[in-house]
Amino acid sequence: MIRTTVVGEVWATRKSRGLEGRKLVLVAAGGDRLVVGVDVLDARVGQTVLVSWGSGARNVLRPGPDNRGVLCDAAVSLLADGSNDPGQLEGGQ
Amino acid sequence: MFIGRVVGSVWATVKWPDIRGLKLLTVQPYHLSDLVAEPGAEAARCHDLVVCADVLDAGVGDDVVVAYGHAARVALQEALGEQERPSTPVDAAVVAIVDRLDVDRRAVEQAGGPIP
Repeated sequence: MIRTTVVGEVWATRKSRGLEGRKLVLVAAGGDRLVVGVDVLDARVGQTVLVSWGSGARNVLRPGPDNRGVLCDAAVSLLADGSNDPGQLEGGQ
Repeated sequence: MFIGRVVGSVWATVKWPDIRGLKLLTVQPYHLSDLVAEPGAEAARCHDLVVCADVLDAGVGDDVVVAYGHAARVALQEALGEQERPSTPVDAAVVAIVDRLDVDRRAVEQAGGPIP
């Protein structure tokens, strides 16, 4: 998982069936890196969140062992309220 | 997943049987600094290109969302029908064609800001 900041939203009408109805957010992933994640927690732009990868991301959308068919490789799994590490929380890296 | 712009396509005559019939695109990933760059400045930046399979019929110049790994193969299976293609040697696929990006400049700067 990484702690990161939501910097924007992605709008798309033509998408894979598995992404229909899903909200996609742009998150800064450290340095100059940029990642697109599925958001089911309704994160706000500017908010610090945790993003999970791979099967961890599928568990956010559908918990359990039977989620191999879920189309997701990155998902917002937590909205951060605070941290012991204020400098990093503000910097989002 | 990541977001990028389609810059070209790849074609080949010799390929693994399970990859036959798939359209392959080259995508230039966007970086954080590209979101706040002045119009026209993006051409000066050159990033590593990613080759990905495309079943949504994206074209050169489109902005697309690309999924990696197992999620990419799930997207291909959804589009190509029920038949299992477990041996498809694909690890990146276009999963959405972007209509619009809403980017908050202040959040980008807070998150690390543009790299000079």
